[in-house]
Order: sequence, then C-alpha cells, then structure tokens
Amino acid sequence: MQRTKQLVTSKTFLIHFILIVGAVAMVLPFLWMILTSLKTYQESIHVPPVFIPEEFQWGNYKEVFGLLPFFKFMYNTVIITLLRTVGQLFLCSLAAYAFARIEFPGRNVLFLLALTVLMVPGQVFLLPQYMIMVKLGWLNTLSAVVVPGLFSAFGTFLLRQFFMGLPKELEEAARLDGCNHFQIYWKIMLPLAKPGLIALGIFTTLWSWNELMWPMIVNSSPESMTLSVGLSSLQGQYLTNYPILMAGSFLAILPMLILFIFLQRQFIEGIAVTGGK
Amino acid sequence: MKEIPLQTEVKPAKRLKAASLAKTRKRSDYFWAYLMIAPTMLGLAIFYLWPIIQNFYFSFTEWGSFGQYEWTGLDNYKRMLEDATLLQSFKNTGIYIIFTVPIGIFLSIIIAVLLNQNIKGKSVYRTLYFLPVITMPAAIAMVWKWLYNADYGLLNYLLSLIGIKGPQWVTDPHIALYSVIAVAIWSGIGYNMVIFLSGLQGIPKMYYEAAEIDGAGPVTVFFKITLPLLSPVIFFVTIMSLIGAFQVFDLIFMMIGKGSTALESTQSIVYLFYQHAFVLNDKGYAAAIAVLLLIVILIITAIQMVLQKKWVHYD
Amino acid sequence: MRKWLIMLLTVVLGLLGLAGCSDSDKASSDAKDGKVEITYGIWDKKQLPAIEDIIKLFNEKHPNIKVKTEITPYGQYFQKLETAATGGALPDVLWMNGAHVTQYAEGKVILPLSDMAKKDNYSLDNYPKSLIDLYTVDGKVYGIPKDYDTIGFWYNKKIFDDAGVAYPDETWDWTKLKETAKQLTNKDKGVWGFASTIANQEGYYNFIWQNGGYVISKDGKKAGFDDPKTVEALKFYTSFIKEGLSPTQAQMTETAASELFSSGKVAMMLDGPWMVPEYKKNPDLNVTVLPKGETRATAIHGLSNVIAANTKHKDAAWKFVQFLGSKEAAEIYAKTGTVIPAFNGAQDTWVKSVPSLNLQAFIDASEYSVPLPNAKSTGEIWQYEVDILKKAWSQEESIEDAAKELTKKANEALSK
Repeated sequence: MQRTKQLVTSKTFLIHFILIVGAVAMVLPFLWMILTSLKTYQESIHVPPVFIPEEFQWGNYKEVFGLLPFFKFMYNTVIITLLRTVGQLFLCSLAAYAFARIEFPGRNVLFLLALTVLMVPGQVFLLPQYMIMVKLGWLNTLSAVVVPGLFSAFGTFLLRQFFMGLPKELEEAARLDGCNHFQIYWKIMLPLAKPGLIALGIFTTLWSWNELMWPMIVNSSPESMTLSVGLSSLQGQYLTNYPILMAGSFLAILPMLILFIFLQRQFIEGIAVTGGK
Repeated sequence: MKEIPLQTEVKPAKRLKAASLAKTRKRSDYFWAYLMIAPTMLGLAIFYLWPIIQNFYFSFTEWGSFGQYEWTGLDNYKRMLEDATLLQSFKNTGIYIIFTVPIGIFLSIIIAVLLNQNIKGKSVYRTLYFLPVITMPAAIAMVWKWLYNADYGLLNYLLSLIGIKGPQWVTDPHIALYSVIAVAIWSGIGYNMVIFLSGLQGIPKMYYEAAEIDGAGPVTVFFKITLPLLSPVIFFVTIMSLIGAFQVFDLIFMMIGKGSTALESTQSIVYLFYQHAFVLNDKGYAAAIAVLLLIVILIITAIQMVLQKKWVHYD
Repeated sequence: MRKWLIMLLTVVLGLLGLAGCSDSDKASSDAKDGKVEITYGIWDKKQLPAIEDIIKLFNEKHPNIKVKTEITPYGQYFQKLETAATGGALPDVLWMNGAHVTQYAEGKVILPLSDMAKKDNYSLDNYPKSLIDLYTVDGKVYGIPKDYDTIGFWYNKKIFDDAGVAYPDETWDWTKLKETAKQLTNKDKGVWGFASTIANQEGYYNFIWQNGGYVISKDGKKAGFDDPKTVEALKFYTSFIKEGLSPTQAQMTETAASELFSSGKVAMMLDGPWMVPEYKKNPDLNVTVLPKGETRATAIHGLSNVIAANTKHKDAAWKFVQFLGSKEAAEIYAKTGTVIPAFNGAQDTWVKSVPSLNLQAFIDASEYSVPLPNAKSTGEIWQYEVDILKKAWSQEESIEDAAKELTKKANEALSK
C-alpha cells in the first residue's frame, strides 16, 4: 500500500518535472522578448546579459509607433482578419450545406474541383493571383488580401463533414413546415454546426493574423501593410537593434494573446476539431 | 422564384401529381444548391482554379522587366535540371521535413499522453504549450534569432555557464538549418498536442482497465494500446505536417535572410520560389518551381496513402 | 423567399464590393475639394524628419497638394518598386539611385523631366554635373538630384584614447590602417579594430579604386572583379577578417557592423554621410577622410527624385519634385545634417550643422571621388555581388575564385 502510493507520487512528480521543463522552454522566449524590449541597446548587447533593465525603456515602444504606423498595421490586420473570418464562415457554410444536404447534378464534380484547391500548395496559384491583383488595380489595398481570403476549400470541406453528420429527420420536418433550403440552413443547420463554425473561425483568424508571404507581396505601402509584414519591414529598418525589434514583436502578438486569454477554451477545442474529425 | 410558375403548371391527373411535385421540389433543390455554392465556387474558380492553369502556362514563359513575358517552351524545366541551387533547396527542405515532422509528432504525443494523466494544473500546461501556436511566425523568428545570437544571445550565455562555447546558430552554414528546425518543432508542438489530446480522450477507458488487469506497464500500454488506437490521428497529423513542412518560408525568410552566409544551406523550395518570383523577377522559372513542388507533394501524399494501410488501425 | 434571396445577394455583393472601395474613395475625395494627394516613396527612415519639414514648407506654397511618404527598407525597396511598376502602382514621386535609373527609364516607368524643366525654366545647372549625367538616359534627364554622398572614415575616439593611439587623419595609408587595427583590437573586451563590411559603396569599391582596379569598364561592357588590382584590394580589405581584426562575416550578419560601431565594439569603419543622424548621438564618434592606397579615391553617388509614369497627378508631382530640388529644401536637409544636399552652395550649411563632427571630410573627398557604375544591369550585378562575395568574406572560398565567378556572372548580365 505504502509502496504503491510512493510509486504514484514519484510518477506524478516525474510527469510534472517533464511538463515544467517543457513549459519553461515554451515561455522563456516570450519573457526574453518582453525583457529585451525594455532595455537600452547597450544593455541588450552587454556580456554577461543584463536580465532586468536598470530603467524600463518605454521609449522603445514609442519609437516603434513613431517610425512605422503601427496602429495602422494593427487596424489593417484586424479588418482583414475580421472580414475574412466572417466572410469564410458565411460563404463556406453555405456551400458546405449544399454539398452535404442537397442532391444536385454535378455535385461530385464540383466538390472534387473544390478539393483540388485543397490539394495544391499555395505557391502554385500565388503568381497568377498576383497578376490578377495587378490587373484589378488592387495592389496596396486591403481588398488584395481580403477578397481571395473569403473563399476557402478547406472551410467548405471541414463544414461539409459537419453537416453530413447531422440526422436527416431534422430537415424533413422543416420541409414539411414549408421551409426552403436557406431557412433550413440558417435556422436549423447553422446552430447545430456551431463547433465546426468555431473551429473554422479560430483557424481562419489565426491564419489571417499571422500570414506573411501574400500580404508582403501585394501590400508594400505602410498604409495597407499587416502586422506580419510590418515586422519584416521593421527588421529591414533596424537590422539587429533588438530592443526595438522585440518591442515591435511584442506589440504585434499582443492582440492575439489577449484574444487567446479570453477565448482559451474555444481556441483549443477549435484546433482539436480541425484535426480530429 | 422559378418554382411558382412551375407549380401552376401542375395539373389534373392525380396520379401524376405526386411525381411532378417531387420534380418541382427537385428543381427548387437545384436552384437553392447552385445559389448556395455559387459564391464559393466562383471565388475558388477565379482566385484559385484559374490561377492553377495560368501557373502552368507561366511555367513555359520567360519574364522581362515590368511584367512582359514571352513563350520559351520547356526552357525553364531544362534549366531546372542543371540548377544546383534548386537541388540544394530540395535537400534543405528534405532535411527540414525529416527532422521536424517525426520529432515534432513524437514530442507532441509524449506531451499529450502526459497531459492525459490524472494530474493537477493540466489546463495551465495546455495554455502554455499552446502559446507559440497563436504567435505570428515573423515574431517567433525574430525572438529566436535574438536568442540564437552568437555573441550576445541568451542561449550561448546559458551554455557558457556550463562551460560550452556556443556555435553561431543562425550563421554557421552547417548548423543554421538545424536551428531553424528546432524553432519549427518548438512552435508546432502545441498545435499537434491539442489534436492528439482530443484523440486520446476518444480512446475508451476499458482498454486501459483491461491492460491494468493484465498487469501491463506504462510503456507496454503506450505501445500496445495508445499508439495503435491513436494511429488514424497520427496519420492525419503526419499528412498535414508534411504538407506544411514542404512549404516552410516565414522562418527562413525572417531568421536567415538575404546576406547571410547560411542562406544556401537553409533556403527552402518555397524561399527559392519567392526569390525567383518577387526578388529576381524571374517569374517563369518561379512558376516552374511551383509546378515541381506540386508534383512532389502529390507523389509524397500518394505514397503516404498507400503506406497507411500498413500501420493505421481504423476501428 | 425573395426576401432571403435579396438579403443573400446584398451580403455577397457587399462582400465583393468592398474590393475597389479604398481606391474610389481616394479618387472621389481628391476631386471634391480640389485637393490632390501624392505619395513619395523613400527608403531611409533617418531622413524622415527633414522630409517632413520640407513637406510642411511645400504645403505653405501649395496647400492643395498633400504628400504622403512611404518608407520601404532599402533591402526590399527596388524589389517592391519592380512589383509596383508592373502593376502601375508606383508612388507618384520616388527616390532613385544610379544603379537602377537606366532600367527604369528604358522600361518607361519613370518620366523624362527635361522637357518639363525647359518649359518651366527650371535650371539643371544648380547641381554637380556628374550627378545630372548619372541620371541622363538617352540624352534625357530623368531625375532631379537630391543629395550626394562620399564615403568617410569613421572612428571611435574613446577606443583610441584608451589604447593611447593618435586619431586618424589625412596622412593615413593602408599600412597605417592595418597597424592601428592591430593595436586597437582587444579580444578580451570584445573590441575589434576595424569592420570589413560586405558593402560595396561604403566598403570594397573604395579600396578597389584606391588600388587602381575597376568594377565595370568605362564603356559598360566588362566587369573588372578579376582584375589583379581589384583582387589585391579585395584581399587587403578582407584580410582584417582573416587576421581577427574585424568581426567575421557571420558576426556582422548577426549584429550589424554599424550597431557594433556605434556601441563601441568596433574602432574604425567606412560609412556614408547618411549615418550622421545616427552616429552623432554618440559623442565618442568622429569622421575623417579615407586612408589612401596607391591613390586617393572615394565612391560618390547621389540619389535623385523621379516621377512615376503611372502618376495620376503629374503636375502636382512635378511641383513637388521641383521643390525637393530647390535651395530651400536643400537648406533644410543641410541644417538637419541629414545628407549632403546636391544643390550647389548648400553644402557649407550642412558641414556646420553638426559641429561635433568633422563633416568637411566628406566635402573634401568629393575632389577625388569616383562615381558608382550606372550600366543598365548594375542592379542585377549588385545582387550577385552579395551572393558570391559573401562566400569569400566568410573564408569559404578564396577571393580569386569568388572574383572569377562574379566576373563571369556580371559579364553575362552586361551582355544582355
């Protein structure tokens, strides 16, 4: 009895030990980012390192805001993320409902076409997409990032799986009541597909917030830059002035961090859904 | 809208009525279905499907200054055969995949299994491990580049405390790729862990109870029960990680960059694609690289699909 | 049902409709109050305060022309321009350098200014002739010179004092440079005597020309990287790295040389006047003329303001460019010590703008300055220089091999 208890505690101890080591590795870079962002340049390259800056250099943050329109970047990123997420949730669920619950000629062919997009690596459509943006005169506008981002094969696929899993009786009843398909979709199916919608929403939000290559290609003017691109531009300006770079980095991740703290459960469950089912 | 006049056409013969009602209903079904898929399908066609075709076309062209191009047939593909840099970038990407995918999956399974135990503070751990997932790669790359700094970075300082002279993590051509790999694994653990955790929770408790009665140790349980039952999830994560790893760009772009001595030994296929497409303005060749990338990914995915029959257990 | 349909269509169209809105908004607001907004593309954030002052002054005269600056880091600047030019989305007015002007002029994405200058009686004689020549393509002037820069020899007085070594002056030559670098390098303190940066204009070009070598032949047909004199100069310049007197190429990638210098880790380095706003913050730093080799030489280059062919506000852009090239603008540049203004006569004000620094060195150097190449493929060749020479800088390859490879690539580019 005594022995098993000891065994259990030492096992728990081992688990905690491993998990804590890992957790430190996860958190340390973020701590270092914040600490560095408050140092003078001299402190940052001091050997041995200065851990806690003598005086917090809030001026580093001011400098980031002063030289690049960081608020503008933040605004752009929020708008892009919001429009893309809402747009995808609506358009993908609409298409997914039709693919999952209505039989119509060409359904399989069309769905296969959508799946093709899912299979192809993004680089394959990048160049022509860029040329389309050039022709439409959308370079340096938010539309260049928002509009192609409204349509998602992945989202359609994910939500279709969800709608397929719902029982048939639900809509039969509604149809007898004289509901049309849009009403069934809107009133009955959407509420039931909530976990799927949350999953897609989280996924799209993270993706739009963090994406680098496409916004960097189409939006080079500070007016339309996103935070990711702003960071790469900051690195171009400040080369290796890490206090400034770290201040910029921290500012760039802060909004998502706050959102995550409030919606932790949804984030984690949402991601689990995109992978699991 | 269309169904209304149609309905009025339905006439006397009572036996036919049911049939034609079904027919009208079908018409209305079609109408709604097409309407509902139209925005997404149109968007996908304009911004994704058509570009795929166009990209094939571009891969047979050569570009001059400011957007002019001309047809040059197979020149780009011929050029690929002799392009040592391209070969090197495939090698780099290969190494990147070979390390990030298995190690990343292995570590996240371990963490997921540990978190699936009956311990305190689970949700705190889960949150902390998830932090890198919500952080933008550009910021991750920047902070790691700083941690890796050979002369003033934290990492080499910590190593110096135990008497090791740390290497030049991101500028030594022999090491830089592995430094990037470590960051990729670090930032991916949380994502996969969450998926595995939900997979683990789907494994019925009775299997473990049975094992306990048989007196199986934790290692046996892990290999005989957990892994096989988790294999469909592992398969899914492997495919997704593979495709993701093939397209690595952000980390290399931000951590290594143009003037670095380690660029040749770290640049990935997609980095090379970006260079040709948007820096060197060699868009035709870039399009050809994209086609090659597509073919390689399709082949690898196909191989995975065949291999999975050997090791994935579906219930 | 119809209600649903309409709603659906409105939403879908609404989502698609946001597409063009930012553009059309801009255009319509322009038209409304007679105000015009033009964009000004630049790459150096250090000049922004001066430029803002200039714009303020400009707006006193032209209140209806609003100017918006767009900064793109130099590393991405021309790549972005290329992209923007393809899409007809260049900023209305932008900075141009000598390496790219021919390509842009021949590609017809920037406007020739000669005719407009003639019409408005705008004199091009106010600028050094070498700079006007730099921006003349097929007999037409495409850019109004904005500034020029020669290269100076920067040093950290404190490191010299600590080692008890006399400050550099105009009597220095290569031997003296090497000797002093050895005296000042202090491994324990993490101080290097010199920084052999992989920069061309503010680096090896100066040594090449001082040694009698060449980069691109006068007729613009042949690259001279494998010229024995050039190779010798490159060898001398990189010998500092080899002998541990300069941070290695890897170290300078991880921590920029200019930051090592301004924070007292590097005693001497070559850099341009564009670093004055940065370096003047540290009172230990000063500048003098470059040490001499076989001859005296320094690179000279100047930027100019050009107008994009895709501009919708040609008149406003031209007014702004004229103002940027005016004496008033030059005086602002000069007073803030940002760059050496190209406008003849404004240089003295610039020299006096930062009394703590010996800025006269930059003006003196212009007497024996050599212009940067401006052959059409120069931009492309600069890409190769970084790619290939860095292997020599990091000691992976010998200078001879790198020079040979680079010459081959550069000659291919020149023959296009």
